[in-house]
Amino acid sequence: MSKIGRKVLTALLIGAMAFSMVGCGAGSKSTSASSTTSVKSDGSIDTSQHVKVKFVVLGNKPTNGRLESAMEKVNEKLKEKVNAELEIQYVEWADWQTQYNLLLASGDSSIDLITTATDWLDAWPNIKKGSFMPLSEDMLKTYAPKTFESVSQEHWNQCKYDGKIYLIPEDNYTQYTNHGMYYRGDWAKEFGLGDINNFQDMGKYLQGVKDKKTGVIPWDVSGTAANGNALAGGYINSNTKNIVIDGIPIGLSTLFYGKSKDDLYTLTSPYMEGTTFDDFATLMKSWSDAGYWREDVLNYDGTTRDLMYAGQSGADQHHSQTYYTDARPNMDKKQPGSDLKMFPFSEPSKNLVKTVITHGALAIGANSKNPERALMIYDLLRNDKEIYRLYNYGIEGKDYVVTSEGKLGRPDGWDKTKDALDTNFWCGRNDKLELIDTNWFSGRDEMIKNYNTYAIEYPYGQFIFDNSKVTTEIAAMADVCAKYIPKIAFGKVTDPKAEVSAFREELKAAGYQKVFDEIQTQLKASKK
Amino acid sequence: MEVKINKGITINKNNKVNNIIKKDKYTKIVHAFAYVFIGLFALACLVPFILMVSASFSTETIITKTGFGILPKGFTTAAYDLIFKSPRVLIGSYCVTIIMTVCGTIVGLFIVAMTGYALQRKDFPYANKILFFIYFTTLFSAGLAPTYLWVTQFLNLKDSYLAVFLQLLMSPWLIILMKNFVKSIPYEITESGKMDGAGDFRIFVSLILPMLKPALATIGLFLALGYWNEWYNSMLYLSSSVEYKPLQNYLYGVINQAQALKNSVAGANVPAGALPTQTLKMATAVLATGPIIFLYPFVQKYFIAGITVGAVKG
Amino acid sequence: MRKDATEITNLQLERVRKKTFWKKIKDNRTLLLMCSPAIIFFLVFSYCPMPGAYIAFTDFNYKSGIFGSKFVGFDNFKFLVQSGSLWLLTRNTILYNLAFIILGNALQILVAILLNEAKNKIFKKVSQTIMFLPYFISAVLVGLLAFNILNYDFGFLNTAIKFFGGDPLKVYAMPNAWWIIIVLVNLWQGTGYGSIVYFATICGIDSSIVEAAEVDGANVIQRIRYIILPSLKPTAIILFLFAIGGIMKGNFGLFYNLVGSSNSMLFPTTDIIETYVYRTLMNSFNFANSTAVGLYQSVFGFALVMIANWIVKKIDEEYALF
Repeated sequence: MSKIGRKVLTALLIGAMAFSMVGCGAGSKSTSASSTTSVKSDGSIDTSQHVKVKFVVLGNKPTNGRLESAMEKVNEKLKEKVNAELEIQYVEWADWQTQYNLLLASGDSSIDLITTATDWLDAWPNIKKGSFMPLSEDMLKTYAPKTFESVSQEHWNQCKYDGKIYLIPEDNYTQYTNHGMYYRGDWAKEFGLGDINNFQDMGKYLQGVKDKKTGVIPWDVSGTAANGNALAGGYINSNTKNIVIDGIPIGLSTLFYGKSKDDLYTLTSPYMEGTTFDDFATLMKSWSDAGYWREDVLNYDGTTRDLMYAGQSGADQHHSQTYYTDARPNMDKKQPGSDLKMFPFSEPSKNLVKTVITHGALAIGANSKNPERALMIYDLLRNDKEIYRLYNYGIEGKDYVVTSEGKLGRPDGWDKTKDALDTNFWCGRNDKLELIDTNWFSGRDEMIKNYNTYAIEYPYGQFIFDNSKVTTEIAAMADVCAKYIPKIAFGKVTDPKAEVSAFREELKAAGYQKVFDEIQTQLKASKK
Repeated sequence: MEVKINKGITINKNNKVNNIIKKDKYTKIVHAFAYVFIGLFALACLVPFILMVSASFSTETIITKTGFGILPKGFTTAAYDLIFKSPRVLIGSYCVTIIMTVCGTIVGLFIVAMTGYALQRKDFPYANKILFFIYFTTLFSAGLAPTYLWVTQFLNLKDSYLAVFLQLLMSPWLIILMKNFVKSIPYEITESGKMDGAGDFRIFVSLILPMLKPALATIGLFLALGYWNEWYNSMLYLSSSVEYKPLQNYLYGVINQAQALKNSVAGANVPAGALPTQTLKMATAVLATGPIIFLYPFVQKYFIAGITVGAVKG
Repeated sequence: MRKDATEITNLQLERVRKKTFWKKIKDNRTLLLMCSPAIIFFLVFSYCPMPGAYIAFTDFNYKSGIFGSKFVGFDNFKFLVQSGSLWLLTRNTILYNLAFIILGNALQILVAILLNEAKNKIFKKVSQTIMFLPYFISAVLVGLLAFNILNYDFGFLNTAIKFFGGDPLKVYAMPNAWWIIIVLVNLWQGTGYGSIVYFATICGIDSSIVEAAEVDGANVIQRIRYIILPSLKPTAIILFLFAIGGIMKGNFGLFYNLVGSSNSMLFPTTDIIETYVYRTLMNSFNFANSTAVGLYQSVFGFALVMIANWIVKKIDEEYALF
């Protein structure tokens, strides 16, 4: 056996040597080569070297050619002003959570600008993992002066980790991104229902669709983990006063909440405590049994929004901003008279948190070779009127027109589902330059006014959880969540209460209490 | 009792039954059973394909209402028309797959043959050590996560076709199989080459390779099949920023991801919600698999040779 | 005197050995070069990642890299054992493989025997070709074909059931049905291919023996029992033992495409080690846990192969691997 043993050992040694040699190399990848942009002695910026900057955004790459045309013009301007050109890389919606995190995990040095978010793109964990470059105030002042001016010191503080700034917040853009269910007002009226503002009524609506609309699936949802977690979160939002704490992802789930807006520093988890989650499980089972979604929902992948536009789904789920900018205008065109309405999850409990300023945030890739130029481009995208319009709306006359009231209009025949630019600049929109789209739902202002009466600012902006002591437990809990939450959320269980019990047992076994205590301690300490 | 195990390629050697010997009643039952059982099994192998092809030629609304059937329901070529109106992605996938298959098979085959020849040379003192070196990888492997990290971080092959291409070039089993094939070529050939003063490589290329034709065909086909059906490495290493994926991975996307389905016929500009999802998936599947189904009967004997030779001495 | 002589001889031997070592390499350099592409290939793709298995013992953080992450010993394994995952995965992997091996080989032998008994040449050729078909398609297609048959809304199975007046089955929500489904699909895909070896063996039986038996009055059943089956025994045993060696490995493509990546309802009965490793890596980016399970699989599998090989050696030295 020693002959074999020796061979094995030799092979492993060779491998180990190779690995560690390269491993050392990979570790020091972040040491930058000579910078491509620097400040000259007279104070101006040296942009003599032409660089390509890559911008990672989320969304599906448009195939209509409009993006290419607009980018041509954008790059003309960028070349003129900062001798650079911009290239967009899309992380498509299919599998976006995996692809986005994988992209960051690979430490790709070609990523310069990247869209991130503290609430749905795990910005804090990624910052901790070293995926983003720290941005010194000097850097920002020099290369993105307009942006630096426009963001208040308080807001900058909310983008800091360990004393350094990592994110540029989209903090000057009015939007509400609270989730809810979309439903057809015309059908609701048919079923004798008024405005729907809670889960029970939603159930009645879905039943109505099931009974009276043949060939239509009440809610043709895909049983993905993301959708399951969103549904569970929505129910919790509707039925408790708990407030979500961002930055503590348990896999794809969020388990930890603050008790209420009057008791912010007591930690709780509606998944473990109380009867909310049991009620949710029971209700969803009844929905599944009643056939509100497909039988094979867990194996099904469909584009619910498109199906709704085609009249084949009676409902969809997403947030307010999507509703009044996208879903409602499209439904008015594609299904005239449908009167698409929204039941915000926050409505029954009046438990609403305003969109956090880092819901859309810009970060620079940790291994980027052109951070300075990237910042300069961002500054232009966000603050230069001409470039802002080109980048967000397209070519004037072809992709958009400015109406007499100074609002955004579209040329005749323009169809959002076919001709959209989709640059998805969700980390630098700016109320100062933003044109109100005439196509947007006219009730938008009213919705926002209503929300403003009871919405609160996100209270945990300065709380960044340090998970280093409980990473193993969190990973274990993520496994458990992935196992149970999708099937509970879509009612694919025989005994919901038993399933919830089993879920809780396994979470406890995975180390729930240890994680809970750790978060509670840190939360209390963050109280100012 | 002596039992011979055939190393040859032909296997249809009939057992002739003498007319003189009575046919017992069991024979009839067994024969009938044989025909029925084999017939049913063969049918079971065929039916799923028939379902798929029929569905691809059916009308979407009828299929979703009444389900799949043996015959097309509402015969139409709508799904195919849609694909051919915007075949860019499908054609791209085909090109990628064909190029990878052809190049991979040629390169891989050459390396495998070369290695197999060297390893069976009895006068090669390192043969056993190298053989074990290669064989050990089937016993113990690093696992998915370390390999993934290695390929993406250190080899920097994320989103590169090389990540797929390189890993399929050879496998221990193929090398050992080739070694067994080459063993049957007598050493005299090599000897005579040496006497003529030729080096080992020359001997391999000019003398051995031409004699290996059946083996090359068999191993080549295994390699080609591996490349053609590849989807796993593509799924791991090629993200959505790679536009043209190998065929089976493309099919995976079309079947499992609504967005990929939409993208596959993006050029045809179909209004939302009007996509004939099921029939489109079937049509894509037929187009992605078609060639294999038509070609394999002609080459199946090579695969059979591979199995029989390989099964004897692993 | 003698001691000096031995010392000198030892020294001389050393020098000769060194000279012979380099000479040996030089003499065989062409053959070595010919092997070098393969050697490099396996070095790069199989051996180099191996030290990465160390991740299984760390709290992996890709910023710190593999060797910079915190060492946590067996913590990752602790969780896997405590949550019952490791046991579940092992059980599923082994049970499925046992079913595949035993039922698979049994069916392959049956098909080979029956194919041999069917005398019509055309029938034999055609049916063999057809049975070979499922082997050639990719796992992706297998998953699609299965979905076409099994899905609730318009699957062929439910269409047939409804036709006969029954209630449609929610197959994708019945975890226990999948023991049967997966085994059946595996049999469907592998029988045609696997029966070839057995069929070849049967064809290789000396026909004089068979004829002699017939003259002696042996009927078909007896012929099968006493001539054919014993001739298949050695092959079957060898194949069986080698398959046991690979019992910890799974056919990832089959399981992944049949069950899907997110139908957690079915995982308790369909999750095998490979699918778990994949999901833990790609969906949860939990490098440490994924590596831990992978390492467990490799080590366990390696031990099994060694045992299997030892048993084979005992039976027939010639067939052992080493």
